[in-house]
Amino acid sequence: MTSGLRRAASTVVLVVVSFLITALILRVSGYSVGDVLSGIIQGAITATGASTSSIRWAIPLLLIALGVVIGFRAGFFNIGGQGQFYMGACSALAISLGWREGPAGLVILCGTLAAMLAGVLWSLFPGWLRVRFGTDEVLTTLMMSFIGALVLQYLTAGPMRNPQGTGQTAASERIPEAFRLTGGSGVSLTVLLLVAGVTVLVWLVLERTRFGLTMTLVGRNATMARWQGINVRRVGLGAFALSGALAGLAGAVELYGPAARLVTGFSPEVGFTAVVVALVGLLNVWGTVVAAIFFGGLQAAILFLPIVTDLPPPALVLLHGMVAFLVTIKFRAVRRRRAAQAEAQAG
Amino acid sequence: MEQILATTLRSAAPLVLVAMAGVFAFRAGIFHLGLEGLMIAGAFATVAVGDTTGSVELGVLAAIGVCLLLSALYWWVIGPLGANVIIAGLGLTSIGLGGTAYALGAIFDVRGSLFTDVVLPRPVTGSTSGAGVIISEHSIFVWITPVIVLAAWVVLRRSRFGLRLAAVGEYPFAARSAGVNPSMVRLQALLIGGALCALGGAELSVGALRNFTENMTNGRGFIAFVAVIFGAWHPIGAAFAGLFFGFADAIGIQSQINITERVPREFVLMIPFVLTIFAVWLGGLWRRRSLEAEAGYAELREPDF
Repeated sequence: MTSGLRRAASTVVLVVVSFLITALILRVSGYSVGDVLSGIIQGAITATGASTSSIRWAIPLLLIALGVVIGFRAGFFNIGGQGQFYMGACSALAISLGWREGPAGLVILCGTLAAMLAGVLWSLFPGWLRVRFGTDEVLTTLMMSFIGALVLQYLTAGPMRNPQGTGQTAASERIPEAFRLTGGSGVSLTVLLLVAGVTVLVWLVLERTRFGLTMTLVGRNATMARWQGINVRRVGLGAFALSGALAGLAGAVELYGPAARLVTGFSPEVGFTAVVVALVGLLNVWGTVVAAIFFGGLQAAILFLPIVTDLPPPALVLLHGMVAFLVTIKFRAVRRRRAAQAEAQAG
Repeated sequence: MEQILATTLRSAAPLVLVAMAGVFAFRAGIFHLGLEGLMIAGAFATVAVGDTTGSVELGVLAAIGVCLLLSALYWWVIGPLGANVIIAGLGLTSIGLGGTAYALGAIFDVRGSLFTDVVLPRPVTGSTSGAGVIISEHSIFVWITPVIVLAAWVVLRRSRFGLRLAAVGEYPFAARSAGVNPSMVRLQALLIGGALCALGGAELSVGALRNFTENMTNGRGFIAFVAVIFGAWHPIGAAFAGLFFGFADAIGIQSQINITERVPREFVLMIPFVLTIFAVWLGGLWRRRSLEAEAGYAELREPDF
């Protein structure tokens, strides 16, 4: 087997193992795994509107995960997708509410660009600290994510709060219907074309451009890349910027698509799930597409499940955690160590 | 003012306990992002078992058991199985957050909060005015937190285990040549950390309050980790950082009551995160002095087991 196939096989095995462990936990706590499974299939594929709903949840996952893929390729753990996503959505909201009378196309364009810019800024700051000072980006992107969530909370509870809003969670006003790219389902031809175009573009950048190749080289061995005359800092900044732009774009798509307004702490898991999606997708663009649709389907299913079983929705968070916990296990490392041990004993 | 100081101690105790867990992991060379998951698992197990049996001691023991088990699993996955420390740690956090919220619905059939009558003993109670308020109404865990911090310091500084831990964290290769098994030392550090997280979680759920609420840790595990970085992975430093974040939290709670108009609560809550970025930046600057140290730091993400 080629190494790519082997990695794909081991990832599939690990994902299946995570599902089995979670299924076991459900079984032990008294749920029928068969019912849950049939509920998942209905909720993700067969029920009315289910497949649309799966795509709707796959879209933000895919966009953010593509950003994660870019970061990982260049050797950076940009795990702050959540904050970049929130800041993107907030910026698009600010533009759309501030310029209600504007021509729809122009407002959406400006809003989307602002969202991408906000994502870039939110990601570039830790990126700059990383390449300029060597500041560990795992912690800084995570912290920026928490800060982003608090900014969203502040905006929706304060300056952008809908004064007529009722209910417990703070929410912003709705954007005018004219600015929306989809109905409540969150899927329309425009959005699908946009996402497909972005995906192909990311693939082109990663696999068919000089920049993509340089990024991969930097990710594999930054020291060697530096000696070959690659400007590692610039490549690193580029990777952080692209990855932030994608997460910001996801925020704009969420706002102009299904959301139409922002609620405190919406989609709280999407940033982390996107990291899982990217890893399950083997940091490969098409693999990530498949993984995003798969996890999008799960998300749709878990929202549908209460209709058929009384499974508590946090089961999904547990499942995502299980996948993340196990998915990076390296069978090769295990086998090599076993071999070394056997050799040591024999010798 | 007395009220703010009392709240500071109450908010800081769980942070400091969990931060000690982070210190042990960090010294062993593990970037432990699963603290949040362990903490909430501890909080849940205390309430679940404590409420069922009516005994807070059994609850705390169960919490310690659960956290030890999860820590051992975490060690197994990142050690012998070679999984990525960061991703598996974040996975552990999700398992904790999702698993406890799930169990709340599946076992107790409630959404949101589970209230209980069991509570940790409170040695000093009854003061309603003056300086007495500061030390009154704290659970026993608040009182033992300083003892644990000092004990952690002594263990890290003076014991055989502490020295081995330092060797493993700083230069596993040398530790191995000296006949120390880095993997085992890491397991021990993670287990100690697991027990501490259980105590932190228990303090959160039945120390200051009497309930378990979904996602009640609310990022505290990460803030504790931040305290480790901010305190330069020294027990005393981390404890003071935890105390400071507890103070920020207390101000945040107060500002909710009376100064909301001037300082939005969200900005107060941001303080630990902003400070962390600053601390990580500063720490990174300091470490970058030598290339070798940087390589050692990189090893934190992929420790060589």
